[in-house]
Amino acid sequence: MAPHKPSSPLQALVLAAPALALLLFFFLVPALLLGRVSLYEGGGQSGFGIGGSFYKPGTWSLHAYRDLLTDGYFRSILAFTLKFCVAEALVTVAIAYPMAFLISRMPGKWKLAAVAVVTLPKLANVLVVIYGLKLLMGTTGMVNQFLQAFGLSAAPVDLLHNLTGTMVAETYLILPYAVLILIVTLDRIDPSLAQAARGLGAGPWRTFWRVTFPLSMPGVALVFFLSLIFAFGAFVSPHLMGSPEELTIAVDVQKQTFENLNWPRGAAEAVIMLATLIVIALVWQALTLASKRARRET
Amino acid sequence: MAFMELRDVVCRYGRHVVLNEVSLAVEAGAFCCLLGPSGCGKTTLLRLVGGYIQPEFGTISLDGQNVTGWPPEKRGIGMVFQNYALFPHLSARENVGFGLEARGVPAAERRRRVEEMLDRIRLAPGERGRKPRELSGGQQQRVALARALVIEPKLLLLDEPLANLDRHLRERMRDELRELQRRTGVTTILVTHDQEEALSLATQIAVMLNGRILQVGAPRELYERPRIPAIARLLGDANVLRVAEARDGSLFLECGLTLGSDGLACPPGAEILFRPERVLVGPAASAHPHQARGILNGLSFMGADQIFDIGLAQGGSLKVRAAPDVLPSARIGDEVSVAVDAANAWVIPEPDPDWVATSPEEEAHGAA
Repeated sequence: MAPHKPSSPLQALVLAAPALALLLFFFLVPALLLGRVSLYEGGGQSGFGIGGSFYKPGTWSLHAYRDLLTDGYFRSILAFTLKFCVAEALVTVAIAYPMAFLISRMPGKWKLAAVAVVTLPKLANVLVVIYGLKLLMGTTGMVNQFLQAFGLSAAPVDLLHNLTGTMVAETYLILPYAVLILIVTLDRIDPSLAQAARGLGAGPWRTFWRVTFPLSMPGVALVFFLSLIFAFGAFVSPHLMGSPEELTIAVDVQKQTFENLNWPRGAAEAVIMLATLIVIALVWQALTLASKRARRET
Repeated sequence: MAFMELRDVVCRYGRHVVLNEVSLAVEAGAFCCLLGPSGCGKTTLLRLVGGYIQPEFGTISLDGQNVTGWPPEKRGIGMVFQNYALFPHLSARENVGFGLEARGVPAAERRRRVEEMLDRIRLAPGERGRKPRELSGGQQQRVALARALVIEPKLLLLDEPLANLDRHLRERMRDELRELQRRTGVTTILVTHDQEEALSLATQIAVMLNGRILQVGAPRELYERPRIPAIARLLGDANVLRVAEARDGSLFLECGLTLGSDGLACPPGAEILFRPERVLVGPAASAHPHQARGILNGLSFMGADQIFDIGLAQGGSLKVRAAPDVLPSARIGDEVSVAVDAANAWVIPEPDPDWVATSPEEEAHGAA
């Protein structure tokens, strides 16, 4: 542990000031502005742009929120977004875990190379990555050629502009973080524990489920919640790889704001998104605290 | 064939030879200590026996079966790791029960055997539900031992099990370990770099240096009759002195000391060992026919005994362990008499081979 120096609250405040100022300026202020916009009446003649019917200035109204809550359209978007992000989190954990497990067991040189390959997509622009995927997954793309060449499918399979495409793209965007977190988690487990289990008569399978996996749970939980949060705010992958069926809130915010020019509604949706994310973060916090307390008590 | 036998085992990490044609036989019920400095390959040897690494050449047999290449879970060997490797997410009880669970022992019998074993290592019932990190170092060590013993292993492997304990606890655990091994009768191999631990626990010591086993024998035999000087030094403080001349029934050592050579066949150039506690000093030496004079260069009083560092005329120095009442008023710089009985000296049969004298960095490079 690092040596602990007692500091006064004032000292702490001074030290944290730059970070706090940044947070205040770039998060809290815009969030408050967003909140204000969501409380205007829609359909005004102010603002800028062609036609300029963003909101009625000087009004206070819960119109936008009432509309959202009574609107089946929005509820279906919210439901899809929630289902989508939970599915995304599960898929990400399911794919990232075996990858991380294999990589963490590679010898040094190979491991470095594997980590580089995993992080490579993050060095490229998101759009480049997505358009790359489009090339791969199109009806004449490599994936379909492969499927047909091996007789796995007679006709080209539709992989784009549907749920499959959206999920693949979103997973592709989240996966590097997930794999890296899990590699670190698995690497930090003392290798002598698995050896001890083997020595006591447990085969590789039992050793994994009784020792390695339980000890990696904190990392798995972190990856799950991180993926949940990423996927909840998914915009690029449903926008470019999905169809109107795969409409997440983030996509609809953009649509309401820039296509329908209904700023209060777009803002209200964004506020609801933010609130949901805060709830997810609080649940995560509560779970972490509870598991810490449980560890201390037992 | 011995109960556990290694034959011509070779093990390499890259180009570094960790084990160089090692052979070792351990009889059933024996307590064998692998003694050597860090990096000599002793832990690698232990892991090889446990099945955690596989040899490049050579065979390992256990209880009449050739187990070379078998995975650890097939060997039925209990191992206590240096850091204990207790499962942090399981209680002491669950840790001990792990091996029985893996063997498919029914729950009722499992519970009985676990509690029995925990009684044996004297872990209080209130502490059995605790996680490893809530136990003291000594308790963790005992739980690790219980976990290895409860599966009734053919062989018990201990990797420096006492190294992480403070001195007081280490001595107590040493006694407990000896007692437990004696009562269970389990064949045991212990790795250590502490000669006191090896001498006090083992029925058989195998001395290792630079990936080879140099000598195997009973503790007393190794202590008194080492094959090469390096072994003498590894097993405790040693005065290793070179013979200059053998003449007129006396041996003249290079350091200036003289011994009656009766019974010591010894060519010039050979090396002679005598342990510090065998050197006479003060009045006892003055009465000796072959006494020599030396200057007291160092003196440390340890309570039960005292260590003198005595410089001799020709430049050599002697380490002497004496009873606390010998020369009670001696001061550094005093002239004292020293003498050695030829009966207490051991002519070392072989000089150190070249490969013994590698640099410590190179030694440390191997598996610790």
